[in-house]
This record gives sequence, C-alpha cells and structure tokens, in this order.
Amino acid sequence: MANESLEAVVEPQLVQSWIDQIGGDQSATVPLLQAVQNQYGYLPRKAMDLIIENTEVSGRQLYGVATFYAQFRMKPVGRHLIKVCHGTACHVTGADRLNTSLRFQLNIHDDDQDTASTGSYTLQDVACVGCCSQAPLMVIDDQLFGNINGAAAQKSLRKHARQVGEELVKPEKQLK
Amino acid sequence: MNAQGLEIIVGEGTCGIAAGSKEVMEAFSEAIPGANIRSVSCLGMCHMEVITEIKDAKGDSYTYGNVDKKTVAKIVKYHTEGGDFPEENVISRPDDLENENSKYIKGQTRIALRNVGELDPTSLEQSKARDGYKAISMILSSGMSQDDVINEVKISGIRGRGGAGAPASMKWTFAKNAPGAQKYLILNGDEGDPGAFMDRSLLEGDPHNVIEGMLIAAYAIGATKGYAYIRAEYPLALKNFQTAMDDAMEANLLGDNILGSDMSFHIKIKEGAGAFVCGEETALMASIEGERGMPNLRPPYPAIKGLFGMPTNVNNVETLSNIPWIINNGGPAYSAYGTDDSKGTKVFALAGAIKRGGLVEVPMGTTIRQVLYDIGGGSSSKYPIKAVQLGGPSGGVIPAELFDTPIEYAAINATGAIMGSGGMIVMDEKTCMVDLAKFFMEFNHLESCGKCTFCRIGTLRIQEILSRITDGKGTMEDIDTLDVLSRQVMTSSLCALGGTAPNPVLTTLKYFKDEYLAHIKDQRCPAAVCKSLISHVVIQADCTGCSLCDAACPTDAITGQKKVVGSYSIDMDKCINCSMCVEVCKPDCILVE
Repeated sequence: MANESLEAVVEPQLVQSWIDQIGGDQSATVPLLQAVQNQYGYLPRKAMDLIIENTEVSGRQLYGVATFYAQFRMKPVGRHLIKVCHGTACHVTGADRLNTSLRFQLNIHDDDQDTASTGSYTLQDVACVGCCSQAPLMVIDDQLFGNINGAAAQKSLRKHARQVGEELVKPEKQLK
Repeated sequence: MNAQGLEIIVGEGTCGIAAGSKEVMEAFSEAIPGANIRSVSCLGMCHMEVITEIKDAKGDSYTYGNVDKKTVAKIVKYHTEGGDFPEENVISRPDDLENENSKYIKGQTRIALRNVGELDPTSLEQSKARDGYKAISMILSSGMSQDDVINEVKISGIRGRGGAGAPASMKWTFAKNAPGAQKYLILNGDEGDPGAFMDRSLLEGDPHNVIEGMLIAAYAIGATKGYAYIRAEYPLALKNFQTAMDDAMEANLLGDNILGSDMSFHIKIKEGAGAFVCGEETALMASIEGERGMPNLRPPYPAIKGLFGMPTNVNNVETLSNIPWIINNGGPAYSAYGTDDSKGTKVFALAGAIKRGGLVEVPMGTTIRQVLYDIGGGSSSKYPIKAVQLGGPSGGVIPAELFDTPIEYAAINATGAIMGSGGMIVMDEKTCMVDLAKFFMEFNHLESCGKCTFCRIGTLRIQEILSRITDGKGTMEDIDTLDVLSRQVMTSSLCALGGTAPNPVLTTLKYFKDEYLAHIKDQRCPAAVCKSLISHVVIQADCTGCSLCDAACPTDAITGQKKVVGSYSIDMDKCINCSMCVEVCKPDCILVE
C-alpha cells in the first residue's frame, strides 16, 4: 500500500485534551470525532481506541456514529484534500467532468482508490458546499475554485501544486 | 490623485471569496494606499461576484459587479481622476438609472435578507444601527407576554421555511404549553438540499439577526437553552455565528439576565456532520444527543418530548430571520405580503442555467416566470429553459408550461413539486431529465438512514431501474414499476425523506415521459447526456489539427497528426464519452450526439 506512510501518529495527550474540553458523555460523540478528524484528516484507529477507553462512549456507539455521517472517513487522507461539489447545480453543469479530469491528472485509476499514489492529493465527492451560482466547483484545502470545467480544474490543481510544492506525476493514459 | 473620502466595500461571502475577493481587496489597497477598505457579507448576487461598492466623498454610492484586477484599475481611475464610467460593471448608481443588472435587486422584497450584504456581519454595532436586537429589547422592556409574541407571529402567518411549512406560531404554542423543567430551542441550519444556500448566506451575512430570532422564539416558548445546528461544510457561517455569539454574550444580549431582565438564554453550536436526514427534526435531535441521525416516530412531537426528552422547538434559519422584522413592524405588515395560502416572502437560491443567479427574496404569490425571467434574466445558454427543479431531492421538476404557477405552498404542491427550503435549479435543454431523476435517487439512497425498508431498499431499486434506462436497457414495464415502487416508498417510510424521495421520479415521469421513452424505445438521450447513449465524433472539416483534444483525452481514444488540418478522429471503442475533448476544442468541432 503506497498510502501507508500517510498513517497519522496519534498523541494520546492531544486526544485527552479534547476529551477534557468537550466532555466524555454520549452527546460528545460527534464533537469528539470532529476534533479527531480536524486534526488528522481521518479517524485513526489509535485515536478511536483512546476515546473508547477514556470516555463513556462505547465502541459500538463510536463506530456506529462515525460510519453514519458523511463527514467522517476511516482511511488516511493525502497531504491535500480536493472536494468536488456534487450538488444539483454542479451536477447539471458538469461536476462529473471535474472528477474525470482530476483523476486523470492525479493518475488515480482504480474506482476504490481516492488518493494519488504519491500521497499528494485525495479526491473526495461532497454533497453541496452551498455556492451554487459558481457551479461547478471544487475546494482544495480551504480554497474555492468556481465556474470551472475539467480543463480549468486541472490547471487550478497544477497551480495549487506549484504553490504548495507538490510534484504531480505526468498523467498516464488508460485503456477504457 | 484624489482618493480622499473614498470608501470601498467588498462583498466577502463564500461566493465572493471563491470569485476572488481577496485579490480585489489587494488590488484596491495597491491602487489607493491607505484607502478605507472594508468587507461585508454577500449581497446574494452570486452571478456578479466580486461585488464592490464605492462611496465617494459626497456620500454617493456606486455598486459594481464582476470586479477583477482589471476593473479595479478602471473603477479607481473613474473615482479619482475621472475617466470612462465602467458602465458594464455597474449594478447601481446614485442617479438610480435602471440597467440590466439592477433589475436583479429591484425585483426583490428583502425581509429575511434585509441586512445581508449591507453590513459587516461581525459587527454588533452595525447590526444595532440597522435595528439589531431592537425587537427583543422592546419585548423585554415593555413586558410583552409570551402569548403576545406568539400572537404577533400568528398574525404574520409565517410558515416554517425549512420545507414542511408548519405555521411557526402553532409550533411555538405547543412548546410553550408543554410541561417540562427544561425547554430547548434549536436552530436548524443543517441546510442539506444540494442546491439551496440561503441559510448559509443568512448565517454568514447577518448572524445577529438569527440570534435575535432565536432569542424571541426562546422567550415565546420559555426556553433557556438553545442549540445552533450548523453544517460543518459552512466554515464561514460557523465562524461568523461564533463571533456574533461572543459579542452578544459580552453585550449581555445572550447569557443570564439578558438586558437586566429575568430572561436567560445560552446557545451552543453543534456542527452537523453531513447527513441530509438530520434536517428532519427528530433525526437532528438524535444527532445532538450523540446518536446516529435516525428519525423517530411522531408523536410524541418534539414540542412535548424532544431533545433529552424535554419540550423542544426546532425552527429553520430563514424562519427565525424573519421574526425580528415581524415584531418590529407588526404581524399585519408581514402578512400584507403574499397570498391567502402563504404569507410573507420566501428566499430562493437560483442556480443552474440562469443568467443572473444567486439569492432572490420575493413575496409569496410571485410566479415562477417572474423569478426566472424578470429577476433571473432567463437562460444563461443558447438553449431555452425547459424546467426548474424546486425543493431539492424531495421536490420535483416544474416544466416551462407551468411557469405561471404562483409560488405558494398549495399551488406548488399541486404540480407535484414542493416548496422545500427554496432551492431553484434552472435547467435548459441540455439537462437530461432521466439522468436528473437518477442523480436525486442516488442522493436519496445514500442519505437514507436505513431505518425503513422501503426507503432503504426501494430507493436503491428505483436507482437501478433508472440506471438501466439511462444505459439504454430499459423496458416499458420499467416505467410502470417506477410508478408503483415510488408510491410504495412514499407511503411506507417514517419520515419526510422517504415520504418525498420519489418526487423527482414521479414529476419527471409526469412531465417528461417523452424523454424516458426516447431512452427506452430509441436508445437515445435527447439532451445528449447519458454516456451509454451518446458518441463523440470529430467534424473533420472544421478540425484545425491543434491536438488539444488528444492531450486532454484520458484514454488514448483520439489520434491524429499535429498541425495537419482535419486529421484527428475518435476511436469509439476506446472513448469513454467523458467530453474532456469538447471542453478544450477551440473550433468547437467535436459533435456529441
């Protein structure tokens, strides 16, 4: 697995600090998961274990909630995250083409793969970021790129990569 | 250069930032060092972003749209040393001369949105200058009773703007009368309709108004604790709301003994974690309690047994945004707008194939045609508008022949669509209605919480049938099955998600059956969208041999000789119909059919 290096190193003190701050009763489940995900970009097993050990939240409860909501992800994430909006306006204006072109640019070819093999970018579909008049659009980290087509998405990605010092591998054409 | 007394105000909502407001701010600071530049929230004219208002020394105000680095130079020149008036960027000017751009704002009646884009959302002072917290202060100082407040809201006739449309006063009465040691008020800002963004804009652009709406509702029902449930996907809304809450706390407008009265009210922000079903109030409460966001059977209604088992009232952001205005201006002033069935105004998020898109607030009873053409300016493409989608994944499509339908709950429901939260997606002839129905069913299936079998599995079966049809493998029997299955899902689901999920299928079947038939009988997608039924062909007579299509093609389907006119062609066996080549082709010589 090329993505293994993306596994986060979880610091127990940090997890404990969130528990101290947010609380450890059942209603803290979602905020705790959000704190973990904000820090690591996904929910590392180690952090989940720490929450189960140190709060009233059971494993059943924690994983039940984590797998219910679209926000949470169990797999490690690339160094940068690209969210492609798939709201209604984006869908009818060609959001699918953004996915095609970005996957091509990042050499992500398997359907169940969402991160470039170099670990640079992870591609994620999101429901709607609420900027429908700029459709179709994508968000790279915190930066929004609106009114783009597939070609413009590739260009924006290349520009972003230059800015943050990520190297993009030359796209390889795939057979159908 | 005379930049004296020039005030520059840049719209910085999420859309403005996306369109490059930061660059515009920088360009202004570079052009006029030390200039008085500030940012406000989004005016809702998303199609004209970035928007900038210039106030000159005389106090005259000019608003410009589509501002970028180049136009900044033009605008600065005009206002400092004189020069050509940047005519094509003007939205409004002091002489109030009407132009194409100004129709967008002038066609609206802004009550919920009255301050959005007018003030710095993080400034309590500016909010107060525009009557912020005036209504709650008046209620607390005049000794207006809970019933008086509820009665005023009852007179206004406002119905819930989140989708279901229950009269706000009715919900408040139930919650007020319910016995309970602790009552809760919840702000529902889990705007899940992928195509609606008025709640985002209200939270980003006028958070103090939303907080005041919560205060009034809390007073009316007797709640001392509140939750603001806001989508995590709206970072700016969360930030501005938090700032507003902190400032309100500081000013004793929130917290204990508000403004020296007996009233106490504390708000906690809960970030929604991305589940459409959490817009349903019982699911939303489960989510706050730390559970999977699954709806529960009603009754008991939340007003009786809600959050943590206590009486709870849940109101949508837009509903609460109207409340301070209603108290300040009186219920009758609000009910003067609208129709017998639906009072007041409603905000719509206009997007898709529309020339002027963004947020539009109009009185109920305005026709769809007026919104689309008078305010929205009609189609943004060379193709005519064929339908609008109203109500998101729970709503339906309304075809062009019904555009004279007035926007009110009953009339919209009669078309098969629903008012919903107000997402209005405009579609031209390049949208395939079967594909659209499939898109919504995929969404509804993914977002189904899984509690009810028909919703969980029925939505999947519907989606499978639709995929079969878009693949050109559908049968006439499928159409009957879709109809039967849709009705079964609607009647056998606990909450509104399942209860309305098949609406997009039923309405497209009702109004665009010909498109279903074209897919099934002729294996043809009239809008040239469905990938299995289209092909890409180079019109070689127009090909300039630029090779851009080859570079863009992800599958090596395109071959030709660089710089040789007319040499490129597409191998259909390798082509995945992704249309990447169409995007880059300069002479527009790739035909999709």
